[in-house]
Amino acid sequence: MTIEQVQTVIPSAADIQEVGRGGQKIVFSGIIDGRKYALKFMAPNPSEVAGQNSEFLDDVTSRARREVETMQECSTPHLVGMGPIGLNTTYIAGDPIIYFSEEFVEGKNLGSYLQSNGVLSFPELVRLAFDMSEAIKAIWQFSKIHRDIKPGNIMRRRDNGDFVLLDMGLVFDLQDESLSVFPVGTFLYFSPEQMEFNNRRMTMNFRSDLFSLGIVMYEMATGKHPFIEGAKTTWDALGNIANLTPRSPKELRPELSGKLSDIIMRLLAKRPALRYRSIELFQRALSKVEPEGGVQ
Amino acid sequence: MSILAQCGYGRGDKIEKGLNDGVIHGVIMSPRDERKDRLEQTIQDWGGSHPTALVMFDPQFYAASLDNPHDGHLSEFAYYHNNSNLGRTHFSGTRIQGYVRECLDYQHETFGSNVAYLISPTILFDAFRDSWSQISLNMAVESADYHSSLNSPQPLLISLIISETAFQTIDAVEEFLDALTEIDAQGFYIIIRRNSLSLQNAMEGTPFGRFMYFCHVLTTINEYDVIVGYSDWYSFLLEAAGVTHTATGWYQNLRQFSLARFQASSGGRRPLKRYSSAPLLSCPLINPELQDIHLANLLPRVLSGSYHDAILQNGPAAGEPNWTDEISCLAHWNSLNALFQRLSALPTQSARIQEAEQLMRNALTLYAQLGSRNVSFDPRTGPDHIREWQGSLREFRALAGL
Repeated sequence: MTIEQVQTVIPSAADIQEVGRGGQKIVFSGIIDGRKYALKFMAPNPSEVAGQNSEFLDDVTSRARREVETMQECSTPHLVGMGPIGLNTTYIAGDPIIYFSEEFVEGKNLGSYLQSNGVLSFPELVRLAFDMSEAIKAIWQFSKIHRDIKPGNIMRRRDNGDFVLLDMGLVFDLQDESLSVFPVGTFLYFSPEQMEFNNRRMTMNFRSDLFSLGIVMYEMATGKHPFIEGAKTTWDALGNIANLTPRSPKELRPELSGKLSDIIMRLLAKRPALRYRSIELFQRALSKVEPEGGVQ
Repeated sequence: MSILAQCGYGRGDKIEKGLNDGVIHGVIMSPRDERKDRLEQTIQDWGGSHPTALVMFDPQFYAASLDNPHDGHLSEFAYYHNNSNLGRTHFSGTRIQGYVRECLDYQHETFGSNVAYLISPTILFDAFRDSWSQISLNMAVESADYHSSLNSPQPLLISLIISETAFQTIDAVEEFLDALTEIDAQGFYIIIRRNSLSLQNAMEGTPFGRFMYFCHVLTTINEYDVIVGYSDWYSFLLEAAGVTHTATGWYQNLRQFSLARFQASSGGRRPLKRYSSAPLLSCPLINPELQDIHLANLLPRVLSGSYHDAILQNGPAAGEPNWTDEISCLAHWNSLNALFQRLSALPTQSARIQEAEQLMRNALTLYAQLGSRNVSFDPRTGPDHIREWQGSLREFRALAGL
C-alpha cells in the first residue's frame, strides 16, 4: 500500500507518511483538520473472506472492530483515543482493505525506551503503574481485558510524560459469546491463566492484565524479563511463567523501594486471587510507596 | 478482631452480660432458635442499648436444602423455603434471584442500621468443584449484584457454608478463591461444617491449615472482612491468619457446626461441667481435672483471669455447684477474648503467628508439668489437639509464604 493510495482513500488527510508495517497492518500518519493522526490499514485474510466480500468476517476485521469499539467506549488519556475516521472498508487494486484513524501519540514505546535510555527511575515506575492501572480500569469498566500489555504497546508521550496503552486489537469481551477463545497475545507477556486454553472465560479478568503489567514493570525496573532466564524456547518461558517465582526486583536493583518491589511481585502472583482484587486496591498500594532512602 | 456470640436456643441474659463485661463485641442471631417477633424486637432493642455492638443476622437459608431439617422458627420467615428440600433443580438463575431478593429485602427492610451487615443466603457444599459449590457462587454473585442496587447503607457479607472435607485438595481451594475474589462485597461470613465433633473444635492439621490460608487470602491479601462462625478454640489461630471476627456460643452445637444442629435432638444427659482455660487452650473438667490441678498447687497457672475464677479458687470441686451454665459461657468468652487480645495487640501478622506458636508451646509445657505432678487428663481435654494445630500452622505458613 502506498502513500498515494492512502491519499485516494482519505482525501482530507495531508502530509501522509508511513510509520510502520507488520503482519497484515500498515500504519501511516496524516494531518486531518490541523491535527496529526495515525491511519491504520489492514488487509483481511483472503482465505477467510472468500465468498463473504460484503462482510469481511475474518479475524483481522474482528480485531479492528474490537479496537475501534474499545477506543470509542473508553475515555482516559492513558488509552490511545479514536481519530475522526471510524471503521471503514474499501477496495484497493481489487483487494478488500479495512481502515480507521486514531490519535497519533508522539513519543517512544517502552521497548525502545529501555534499549536507548535504560530502566525507569522510581517516580517513573510509579507513574507507569498508575497510568496503566487507569487504562486497565477503563477497559475493565466494560468487562473487557486488553490481553496484550507489553513494552511495545505502551508509549510515553513526549509532551507530558504520560504513559499510554496502545493496540486494543486483542481486547477480549467477557460478555461476547462470539469471539474466539483461542489464546492470542504475546506469549512472553501471558498470564498463567491466559495459557489455559480451556475454560479461560471462567478464569480471566482484569487481573490477567495486571500480571502482564507486572512483567512490564519488572522489566522497566530491572532491565530483565522475569521469566526468560534459563529459557531456551518460548515454551520454556511459558513454563517459567506458570511455575517459576522470579527473584524480586529489589534483589536485582537494591536501591529500589522495597514496597514497589513487593507490589511488582504481587502482580506476578501465579493465582489471580493473590494479585489485587480491584484496581482501587492496587492504586491504594501504589499511593503508599515511597522511594527508599530518598533514592530516585 | 473480636469474639462474637453465636446465638442459639437458650439465649437468656448471656449476651447482655457478655457485652457489658466486654468479653464479646457483638452477636450473630439465629432465626432457627427464636420467634420472629422476639428476634426482631431484640435486634431493635440492642440498637438502642448497645449501639456499638456488632449485630448480625444469619438467615440460615441453607437449612432449606437439607433433608427434613429440624428448622425450628425458620418457617416464620418468609424468605425461608420450609418443607422445600431444595434440590439442584430449584436453583435456576431466576429462582436464585428470587431467593436473594427475598432474603436481602427482609434484612434491609426489617433491621435497617441495627445490623452491621446484610448477609447473603447460601447453601452447603462438600467440595469446591461440585455443582453445589457453583450454586453457592452463583448465589454470591447474584447477592452482590442485587445488594449494589439496594442502596443499603449496610455492607454485604457473602455467606459460605463449606464442609471441612472440601479443604483436602489445595488446587480446588485456590480455584475457588480465584472466583470468590471477583465478587464485590464487603466480606464473607464463613461456617465450616464439621464431620466429627471434638471438644476443642480441632480439624485435621492439613485441612485446617488450608482453611487458615483461605481466610488469609480473603483478609490479608484481598482486604475483605471475614467473620468465621462456630469457630471456638481455634479462633486464636484464625486471628493469626488475619480473620476479622470469630463467633462461638454456649452449647457445643454453637461452638462447632454440624448438620446435627438441624436434626432433632436425641436427648442425653447434661454434659459434665468444664472450665475454659486459656493457658491450656482447652476446657478441663472442673472435677476431677481442675480439682487435681488445684491439689497440685498449680491452679493459678491454668486460670484465665476472669472475675468468675473466684468461684473456683478455693477448690474447684467445692465451687462446682455455683459454676452455672451462664457463668461457664461468660468465662469461656473471656478466655477466647483474652487470647484474641493478646494476639491483636501485636503489630504484624508475623508477630501474631509467632505468638500463636508460643501459646501452643506454653500449653504443651503446662500439660507436661501437670503430668509430672500426676494430673491426668481425659484424652478429650488434650493435649493432642494442640499438636494438630501446630501442624495446621505449619501448613498455613508454607502456603502463605510466611
